[in-house]
Amino acid sequence: MRRATFAALALGATLAWTCGAAAADPAPGGALAESTGTRAAAAAPGQSAVDQCLACHREQDSPEALAYANDIHAARGVSCADCHGGDSRSDDQDIAMSRARGYIGVPTKEQIPRVCGRCHGPGHDAFKTRFKLDDVLTAYGGSTHAHALESNSKGPQCVSCHGVHSIARVADARSPVHPSHVIDTCAKCHSDAAYMRDFDPALPVDQRDKYRTSIHGKRHAAGDLKVATCVSCHSNHRVLQVKDPRSPVYPTHVPETCAHCHADARTMAGYGIPTTQYAEFRESVHGKALLKRSDLNAPACNSCHGNHGAAPPGASSVIAVCGQCHQSNEELYDQSVHRGVFASKKLPGCVVCHSNHAVAPATDKLVSFDAPSPCARCHRNDGTDRTAPEIVRMRGLLDSLTVGQASALAALSHAENLGMDVTDARYSLKDVNQSVVQSRVAIHSFRVARLEEAARPGITIVAQARRAGEEAVHEYKFRREGLAVSTLIVTFLAVLLWLKIREIERRQKRENS
Amino acid sequence: MSARPPGPIRWIRERLNIDPLIEFASHKQVPEWRGSFWYYFGGVSLFLFIVQVASGILLLMYYQPGEKTAYESVRFIVVKVKFGWLVRSIHSWAANLFILSVFIHMFSVYFTKAFRRPRELTWYSGFLLLALAFGFGFSGYLLPWNTLAYFATKVGTTIVAVLPVVGGPIMELLRAGKDVTTATLTRFYGLHVAILPAAFTLILGLHMMLIQTQGMHEPDTWPEGKRRYMPFFPNFILRDLLLWLIVLNILAILAVWFPWELGSKADPFGAAPQGIKPEWYFLFMYQGLKYFPAKLAGVDGEIVGIVLFGLAGLLWFLVPVWDARTPRGARNRFVNYVGVTVVLFIIVMTTLGLR
Repeated sequence: MRRATFAALALGATLAWTCGAAAADPAPGGALAESTGTRAAAAAPGQSAVDQCLACHREQDSPEALAYANDIHAARGVSCADCHGGDSRSDDQDIAMSRARGYIGVPTKEQIPRVCGRCHGPGHDAFKTRFKLDDVLTAYGGSTHAHALESNSKGPQCVSCHGVHSIARVADARSPVHPSHVIDTCAKCHSDAAYMRDFDPALPVDQRDKYRTSIHGKRHAAGDLKVATCVSCHSNHRVLQVKDPRSPVYPTHVPETCAHCHADARTMAGYGIPTTQYAEFRESVHGKALLKRSDLNAPACNSCHGNHGAAPPGASSVIAVCGQCHQSNEELYDQSVHRGVFASKKLPGCVVCHSNHAVAPATDKLVSFDAPSPCARCHRNDGTDRTAPEIVRMRGLLDSLTVGQASALAALSHAENLGMDVTDARYSLKDVNQSVVQSRVAIHSFRVARLEEAARPGITIVAQARRAGEEAVHEYKFRREGLAVSTLIVTFLAVLLWLKIREIERRQKRENS
Repeated sequence: MSARPPGPIRWIRERLNIDPLIEFASHKQVPEWRGSFWYYFGGVSLFLFIVQVASGILLLMYYQPGEKTAYESVRFIVVKVKFGWLVRSIHSWAANLFILSVFIHMFSVYFTKAFRRPRELTWYSGFLLLALAFGFGFSGYLLPWNTLAYFATKVGTTIVAVLPVVGGPIMELLRAGKDVTTATLTRFYGLHVAILPAAFTLILGLHMMLIQTQGMHEPDTWPEGKRRYMPFFPNFILRDLLLWLIVLNILAILAVWFPWELGSKADPFGAAPQGIKPEWYFLFMYQGLKYFPAKLAGVDGEIVGIVLFGLAGLLWFLVPVWDARTPRGARNRFVNYVGVTVVLFIIVMTTLGLR
């Protein structure tokens, strides 16, 4: 118990180092506002310039006081009182640890960010300028960690990651946030299911385990500190939940976050992998859906590669990866002849025809013998390939739907331009789209019969719609011709009547005269 | 030796005593002068009314009033029923030509002073027929339950509501409720296919009986020596028939080349389309009301406008009363000036409204 109290006191002392800005930058807490640390004021006449807190606690072999000698803050002249308050220049304990002198003892966890924020927060003073201290308090304040701390005092704050009394620079290998340690530092909480339950019970706690299986993790374990660690993707002080649209790991931001390293030729030099993935992805059907239309159903990098366990899918696992979304395609492909052939040649399934990062919208032109159709890579339409007629037939079925639909629409438009009502036929064409989608799925069976089964209903509708359009045009002509005939008949009758009237009137004139 | 009558007439003659009718028709004379042409518009109006009745009966066989069936049934008539499109188009075009023909007939009667004694009753009955024709147009317009018809009916019935005291009740009577709903549709349907045809037939019968018994109006100033007549039968009847054939041709051309559009189904919760207007024959009143200021002597301008249009209509109806020279059959330029003003007003306002 005593040890814990002392540790807390020591923690407070370390944090007090960062409190030096109190005079220039008043802290929000009343008790935190007062301090007579060495950062805050120069020694008055008759007062000691020696940090009496440190001197006394070192005499008592306090581990915190001893550890503080190696703390970056000690090297910058930050005294105990700068974080803990009180008067570090007085050798009188009652004065040094007087509440009247702003002594706060061990800051509570809620107080810690504000204590550190005196130097690492907003505002400017000579000390911050001299040591180029950034405003990380504001960044932390908007993070999910700060939100967790607000709701639960067990939530993470500065010392949770940076330690206390022996704080080192991030670049210092002793620092817990040094790239070599940051995985374990994050995992301290994020791999602790009991701890995480208090904050987000649904959040997995296997990130570190997965990371170790990833290419990043393996290289990291091998001593490559250039690879991505937790903070590379999630940032450090402003950690946000994945579902937060501002987060760098929000689905629409993931490609850019990954590209930060993977599109940078200098960073990637020596790894022997291309840096064009992001550029290709942006122009792909997936990239356009995700980045331009903000369609969160579209895949980002992590959808195929995994996130914490990121690795390129192997040739054998590509089908399963694509099959996460394209389940029907996967099922049909699994039963197809290509499955075995591609596997034996170690070809990466879907990627053979559709590419990986640069997946283009699948059009019927993929099924052809013309470059750059993937079929033409293995099949020849020169009479030697017995499957060639089937490919031709399959393309014919697809064309019957798409080209047929276009020609039916043209027939209906022609009829409509003539003023004929073909709404029903036009409406029926909507069902063709369903058939087109099903056919484009069925093509993955690479069997004519299966494709025909999917395409047939659509082809029938297309034929009916085209016929309706043609009949409407015929009806239009019939109406015009009918009108011409009836007009002629009526006009003929009118002429006859006129002649009759003239005859009658002439006869009457003769009789009258 | 008189000519032997043709078979059908002989057949009827043997069963019915139509000799007085034939006698009457063969002796009836129609004045022949430069205004004789206008006489035919009465016949043309009658022909178009017959077309309306015939095509209306055909439409009646498929039309189903109701919010969920009216539009669909008209669409069915137009798209599925053999020659349904033609019947509907003819019905719509004939309705408009009918109103136009009635207008021409009315103004020709007005300017030739054919309303004077002893033909006042013919004028009154003719005016009532015009009012009923308006009723036919207004009620029939809503029946397809399309967007334009729905909102035009809404606007049309709202105008009445501005009248103090009686406006609201009249509007509710027309709409069969506070708003234009399926109840309005069935009410208009009842009016269009039963009440108005019955009333129209009765008044038309009276109108024609008066014309036949009183004979055609002769010009007020017609020199004795220059008076010429043509036999009503067969000369006038055959000429009438000739004009009917010409009108039938015009009607067929209009129906085929400019089929009457059905538009989209009315959505009572949708926004009214921009520039909503009533049918062209109501347009002069609708446009005229727009030029009344918001307030006139402290009274709502629209109310003043409706009252003034009502008074103008009443004066028009009572022209045989206020035409002071009616009893003497003398010239009255004032009547002509009033008529010309009315014609110009209708033409100008309709043109402005159509723009």
